[in-house]
Amino acid sequence: MPPREGTYGLLAEFETPGDLIRAARQARQDGWRRLDCYTPYPVEEAAEAIGFHRNKVPLVTLVGGLMGLAAMFSLETWISVLAFPLNIGGRPTYSWPAFIVPAYEWTILWAGLSAAFGMLALNGLPALYHPLFNAPNFRDGATSDKFFLCLEALDPKFDRVEAKAYLESFQPVSVVEVEY
Amino acid sequence: MAHDTRAKTLPADLGAPDFVNGWKSRSLLVGVVFSVIAAGLAFADGSIEHVLRAWVLGLMLTFGFSVGGLALLMVQYCSGGKWGLLLRRPLEAMSRTLPVVFVYWVVVALEMKRLYLWAQVSDVAAALKSGFINEVQAHCIEFKRPMLNPGAFVGVSLLCFAIWAYYSWRLTSLGLKRDSDSESNTPYWIKKLENISGPGIVVYSLTMTAAAIYWVMSLDPTWYSSVYGLLFLVGQGYSVLALGIIVSVSLSKAEPFKTVLRQVEQHDLGKLTFAFVMLNIYLAFAQFLIIWSGNSPEEIPWYLDRIRGHWGVIITLDFIFHWLIPFSLLLSRDIKRNKKRLVRVCQWIVFAKAFDLFWLIEPNFKDAARNLHFSWGILEYAAVPVAMTAFWIAFFCTRLQSRPLVQTNDPHVAEILEPEHVHA
Repeated sequence: MPPREGTYGLLAEFETPGDLIRAARQARQDGWRRLDCYTPYPVEEAAEAIGFHRNKVPLVTLVGGLMGLAAMFSLETWISVLAFPLNIGGRPTYSWPAFIVPAYEWTILWAGLSAAFGMLALNGLPALYHPLFNAPNFRDGATSDKFFLCLEALDPKFDRVEAKAYLESFQPVSVVEVEY
Repeated sequence: MAHDTRAKTLPADLGAPDFVNGWKSRSLLVGVVFSVIAAGLAFADGSIEHVLRAWVLGLMLTFGFSVGGLALLMVQYCSGGKWGLLLRRPLEAMSRTLPVVFVYWVVVALEMKRLYLWAQVSDVAAALKSGFINEVQAHCIEFKRPMLNPGAFVGVSLLCFAIWAYYSWRLTSLGLKRDSDSESNTPYWIKKLENISGPGIVVYSLTMTAAAIYWVMSLDPTWYSSVYGLLFLVGQGYSVLALGIIVSVSLSKAEPFKTVLRQVEQHDLGKLTFAFVMLNIYLAFAQFLIIWSGNSPEEIPWYLDRIRGHWGVIITLDFIFHWLIPFSLLLSRDIKRNKKRLVRVCQWIVFAKAFDLFWLIEPNFKDAARNLHFSWGILEYAAVPVAMTAFWIAFFCTRLQSRPLVQTNDPHVAEILEPEHVHA
């Protein structure tokens, strides 16, 4: 695949999450679909503002947890009943109360790992390159104190001049063009 | 662009909305209807034996709301957090219902001899000889006599009530004083209430444990469990949070809670309830697992009484009602953020708590242990606690109406009035 060239999108910088969210809401309402918010900490309203309601992390976590539960409970049952049955205080070999604790621990372990790695995978991470880091203000502020709204060039409404004027109507700190 | 906060303002009238009167009259009506049903059932059964047993259930439930409310109030003063602003006044109102709980307790104290084996048997040797009690019971009653005797029962309970009343009075009157004070003194009040509440939580755990042991655990004088107090403590957190959510969400149909209740804090309360659902089953199962592993003849009869003879159905349902259903539902973020659904889950939790108490209380009695069977009397469990809780709720509503619903002298007030995303 040849390297992509041209404009990735237009990046507007805001000082507060409130300004960002108002701009993002308006842009979504005006028909923009290829747009994204970037904030230094999770701002749930920003996700809602651009029409992002669902992600699959809860499902991945649930499935992971249930898999951990089933795996450990089956392992214990297999060991105690089939592989190496022992008489422990005259109890039946299938003594489920004793199996609960490890099965519970594995549920948590697998749910936790699934949540963490599922989240990374669904975010497309690890990513070795992202065009936004070409913008110096994004590099310096995106992880500390700046809030960004990016209108992407893939959007059918995108026109470099009009989009720039549109973003400037929100009175951001700056609007810069980002190259691939 | 200028920072636009668009903060809401607190309404001028912070009193309880008018529909609280409706709650009051409705619960009085429910109380009367269920009292009549309870009386009819007692007549059909031909004894008040089960009325008293169900009375203990109603006592523990309303005691949980009242003193558990006091405990959560103290925890909130120590932990802080915006969710507390929603709950403080409802919790204060719960703690100020102690007189009703005291009246309920007086009935138990008066009818002690019908409920508690150790109160009934004064001459252990004669009772053993006549076959009224077995050897284990005789030994335990004899051995625990210094603790389990009518004088100690009344004395300890009265002491506990005095301590709870003191804390309830102290915290709720200081809460009012704090509101009438100037804002510059807020740090002083935060520290002061924290300093009272911290030791208060310790005192509460001890007194609550004593009450749980005397009122419920001693129904079976042969058995003991060191986690018993903690089980009731967590159970109180579980039911008080559920009731708190029901109250604050229902109040949010009108001012002032309409302004104050934000989705973020509602979600927080749902998460906290979820934690208690987990802790509850954790302790209950831990107690079972330890006794099951030990498998010693002194301890397991208590569980056998509650598993054999069809009680297995009840304990299975208890597990499903008490843990599986609230746990599965509260996992969902959407349910925690939806007012109507969260209230439904919380109502279920309160019911599940009562169901759990039924499983704890009824098998203590000779005719019911390892023998779950139908009698008109057993239906009292569906009548007496409902009536008692309904009367309690009516009193709670009066308490709710007697004060502004929101504490105003608090730095969180400004925050809770801001739009949600500012702090997101």
